[in-house]
Amino acid sequence: MTAMTASLPPQTRWWQSRVVRRFTRNWLALLGLAMITLLTLACIFGPALLPYDSLYVDLRARFSAPLTGDHYLGTDPLGRDIAARLLMAGRISLMVGFFAMLLATLLGTLVGVIAGYSGGWVNAVLMRTVDGFLSFPTIFLLLALAVALQPTPVMITLIIALTGWMEVARIVEAEVRSLKEREFVMAGRMLGLSRTHIMFREILPNAMGPIIVAATLTVARAILLEAYVSFLGFGIQPPLPSWGNMLNGAQQYLGTAPWLAIIPGAAITIAVTSFNFIGDGLRDALDVRNDTL
Amino acid sequence: MAAFLLRRLLQSIVLLGIVSIIGFTVLNLIPGGPLAQYALDPGMTEADRLRIASQMGLDRPLYVQYLEWASRMLQGDWGTSYRDGNAVLTVIARHVPATLLLMGSSTVIAVGVGTWIGIRGATHRNSALDYMSTVGAMIALSIPTFWFGLIGIYVFSLRLGWLPSGNMYTIGDGSVLNMLHHLIMPSVVLALVHIAIWSRFMRSATLDAISQEFVKTARAKGVPERRVVMKHVVGNALLPMISLAGVQVPSLLTGALVTETVFSWPGMGRLFLDSLSYSDYPVVMGLLMFSAILTIVANFIADVTVALVDPRIRLA
Amino acid sequence: MTKDLKTQLSRRHALGMMGAGAAALFTPNLLGRPAFAQTPPDSPTGRVIVGLSQEPTVFNPLMPKIEVDDNVHFSIFDALFRIDATGEIVPNLATEVPTLENGGISEDGLEWRVRLREDVKWHDGEPFTAEDVKFTLELIVDPDFRAWRTSGHDLVRDITVVSPTEISWRMEEAFAPYLSFLTETFIVPEHILAAAENPNEAPFNQKPIGTGAFKWGERTAGDNLTLVANPDYHGDGPYIEELIFRYIPDMTVLFTQFQSGSIDVVGRSYITQDNYEAAQALPDRQVDLVPAPSVESIYLNLERPQFQDPAVRQALYHALDRASIIDVLYYGLPKATETFMPPQSMYYHDGLPSQEFNLDRAREILDEAGWMPGSDGVREKDGVRLEFTNSTTTGAHLREQTQQFVQQTFAEIGVRMNIENMPAAVMWGDHWVLSQFDTVMVGITYLIAADPDVTNRFHTDAIAAQGGNGSNTGQYSNPEVDALLEKGARTFDPEERKAIYREAQEIIRGELPFLPLFSYTQVYGRKAGLEGFVPNTNTRSETWNAASWYWS
Repeated sequence: MTAMTASLPPQTRWWQSRVVRRFTRNWLALLGLAMITLLTLACIFGPALLPYDSLYVDLRARFSAPLTGDHYLGTDPLGRDIAARLLMAGRISLMVGFFAMLLATLLGTLVGVIAGYSGGWVNAVLMRTVDGFLSFPTIFLLLALAVALQPTPVMITLIIALTGWMEVARIVEAEVRSLKEREFVMAGRMLGLSRTHIMFREILPNAMGPIIVAATLTVARAILLEAYVSFLGFGIQPPLPSWGNMLNGAQQYLGTAPWLAIIPGAAITIAVTSFNFIGDGLRDALDVRNDTL
Repeated sequence: MAAFLLRRLLQSIVLLGIVSIIGFTVLNLIPGGPLAQYALDPGMTEADRLRIASQMGLDRPLYVQYLEWASRMLQGDWGTSYRDGNAVLTVIARHVPATLLLMGSSTVIAVGVGTWIGIRGATHRNSALDYMSTVGAMIALSIPTFWFGLIGIYVFSLRLGWLPSGNMYTIGDGSVLNMLHHLIMPSVVLALVHIAIWSRFMRSATLDAISQEFVKTARAKGVPERRVVMKHVVGNALLPMISLAGVQVPSLLTGALVTETVFSWPGMGRLFLDSLSYSDYPVVMGLLMFSAILTIVANFIADVTVALVDPRIRLA
Repeated sequence: MTKDLKTQLSRRHALGMMGAGAAALFTPNLLGRPAFAQTPPDSPTGRVIVGLSQEPTVFNPLMPKIEVDDNVHFSIFDALFRIDATGEIVPNLATEVPTLENGGISEDGLEWRVRLREDVKWHDGEPFTAEDVKFTLELIVDPDFRAWRTSGHDLVRDITVVSPTEISWRMEEAFAPYLSFLTETFIVPEHILAAAENPNEAPFNQKPIGTGAFKWGERTAGDNLTLVANPDYHGDGPYIEELIFRYIPDMTVLFTQFQSGSIDVVGRSYITQDNYEAAQALPDRQVDLVPAPSVESIYLNLERPQFQDPAVRQALYHALDRASIIDVLYYGLPKATETFMPPQSMYYHDGLPSQEFNLDRAREILDEAGWMPGSDGVREKDGVRLEFTNSTTTGAHLREQTQQFVQQTFAEIGVRMNIENMPAAVMWGDHWVLSQFDTVMVGITYLIAADPDVTNRFHTDAIAAQGGNGSNTGQYSNPEVDALLEKGARTFDPEERKAIYREAQEIIRGELPFLPLFSYTQVYGRKAGLEGFVPNTNTRSETWNAASWYWS
């Protein structure tokens, strides 16, 4: 379209390589990336490699401790293999986390860009709504919604996204507000580009850094929230396993079968820590100011 | 100042209105309702349930119920609990102290430990402690609170038998010591995440301050390192600390809800879950509004304090 | 008020015998112990803490309440009659139980006459009279009062106070179960509630005044409720100074507190089955197995096309591996059953055919009935697939485990059961009441007190989804059963009633409108020194006789 757009690719490449260089220097971020990659691969291919199906009930083998026979991580009260369930649950929890992040980021970005660019009453209405959602503890809203709606994985994803878009919106709004006074936006306006074009083609790419960081942290948050809701019994329902619902009921067997509680919780912690490591690394690499933590 | 206060007040009221509409709509999406708990009663008939629903006004259209609720609310009447017949405010007031105690003690722990780790990490940059605390904070932020609680119960109650697994005190022993004993585990569990947040925050605040000219000057003048740090750094970081404390309120409440569940702690979180499962909507709505007000007030106080302490910040 | 020591002793002795009898019925391990070797103290001493996993919140005994509230009502209030552990109805505020023989109930069952004790005082010192009974019965049917149950009470007409110690009324139609209903109808004070502007919101509801063995003490909402001894109690006891109900929502915490001795009695929902062994091993603790009145079953919605074919119900029943469910998932504690009637009831039919777990037989029945496996292995017939959902309350762990186990066995005979659990408020709302489910995994208490009347569950007119008034959510309809139930409710003679309800049980076992799994057994636990404790499954309360408890 214009010379400016044409000049973007080399710029992007330079931007990328610098980021990659800085990211790879952060060994925690790399560790996080490696762990997530491993975990994802395990969840995709693992269930096929294990000797047991995640849903296969075998009452004779119930409450087997880890490392008895082929049950590497033991079995649950129905004698189902915990390793198999953990990996199947991982698929669901990671998917919920990923898609909730995607939706929340899209929604948050949209609201943020529109509010930030428009200003005036549009900004006021949108940002007050954001404040409204932020002024009660997420978990209250989340639980009430989970009770109201049929808790399928898709629903839980939607609910988590619906309670998690506000942070992104705030970040994007602030970023857009500062960007819209910059020269390249002025130039775009003078060239007669449409509002939508300026908002999403000119400003948005320049705000990608903070969005990417926020998105990574949102995955971590979404996985945690799914675990909270499912632990309290309002989330994903058995027999479908999720890391959260594997913990639901584990408290009852804490004395006799502590591994029921320890293993899924460790999986959650590893996954969430990894995403947080990555997010932190990206923040440093992308030079985003530390204002979410 | 007055104009600022007025504007914030108006904004808050609009905000509360939005919160109440979101809350009311969500709650009433729940099928079933408060009479569900009697569904298995062998002696209650469908006619009994319909009669009670109409006596409670549950058969009226939603918007009528909302308008009635809202107009009462404006007059300071928060409604009556379906479950125990008390005024909602009374019900909430009975559960607030337990939650405040838990939140308060864990904030003390979080601020104390977090500040120490943060300053220590910043003044001994790149030391083993600094590195460990950075990594530790990231992990702490990633541990599900309830899981940490479960592990705590497993280790300290079931295995070692050092700490009680739940409740606020032993009946018949009203001593402060007994309550402290019960308080240790829940408040540490709740504090964990906040220790991480505080330590990270204090670390960067201290680093910022250390690099500033006046600290360099003070050090050049030969003032001992320790005093420089304590006086200038902490003094300087105080303002953002106050705002941070305000911003933390919703996350503390969320944490408290989960922690109270794990430890059978008789606070607002426990009340919320119980009320939700009995569909005691007036109490659930009351808690939503209460926590929203608490959040707004906390933010407000944080802003005002910052403004009062530091005249450089103009109230816009 | 001084008590005649002799009558007191003899009454206690009688109660002791009764308790021992009941205990022998339920708990063979109690027999070795001299249950009433010690005598209770002269004045109330000590304190008993009862741990409950739900919180009692309703203190007006006539208002909508759940089981756990009954613990408080039984301690603070009295009813006209009480039902003991053996199922016998005994006088409480009344001096005798009206029957056809003693003339308290007329031959046609319509005229009732009850004589009352004259030595009863309310906790505030006012005397209890027939006016209080009249007020209570009238308040229940007052259209402005938010009453709990009204069935039975709505048949009462012409309540007459004959004298302060005698009351009579007429029934609109003969209704035998009413006597049992009255054992759960606690009498409230006229002098307080009649003066209240709105009995639904009277201060009384937060600080009740009764005639019972314990008086209201103090409530710490969300944590505990303390009742204190009523020294002027008209009956036996109380021997303990304080009765405390402590709310401990988590079952694990409840059990650890029982282990550590922080609570003396584990009340509803008792000790979880998986902790039974651990509980038995505890020193100085008495752990008993007590049969409960509720029956666990898979409830079928008979209006669903798959379940209209009796062959399907038979086949599903054959595909239930009940032995594994009971022995493994429920630790061998509940008892297999074939009927809705609890085994401890005198109306229980013990001669019903036993279920047989036989997958081949199940497949055979389905083959014969023309249900053939489709391309995905799920059987179908005339376009109807043998696929349905099964729901229960989220968080009911043993039920969830059972569901998943049953799901796997059903799959082996070509039946697909999809699990769709919901939070209690959703599950037991319209979904259950208006029969919007396919199947439900549920434990149901069919009887009110110990009366065998189950019209509310099985009569055609009790199908709420079809405009009826009742809880026949499975939508079972059989004219023969309807006739039997109507006859049973009109009949006062226990022997005649036995025959009626046996026949009803036979028909229902044959038709399988629901698939019975087992009859519950609860694990009660208490500290060893607590004497006088008698489980009573005819009430919904563990503390029904707390007046007789004492520490040895």
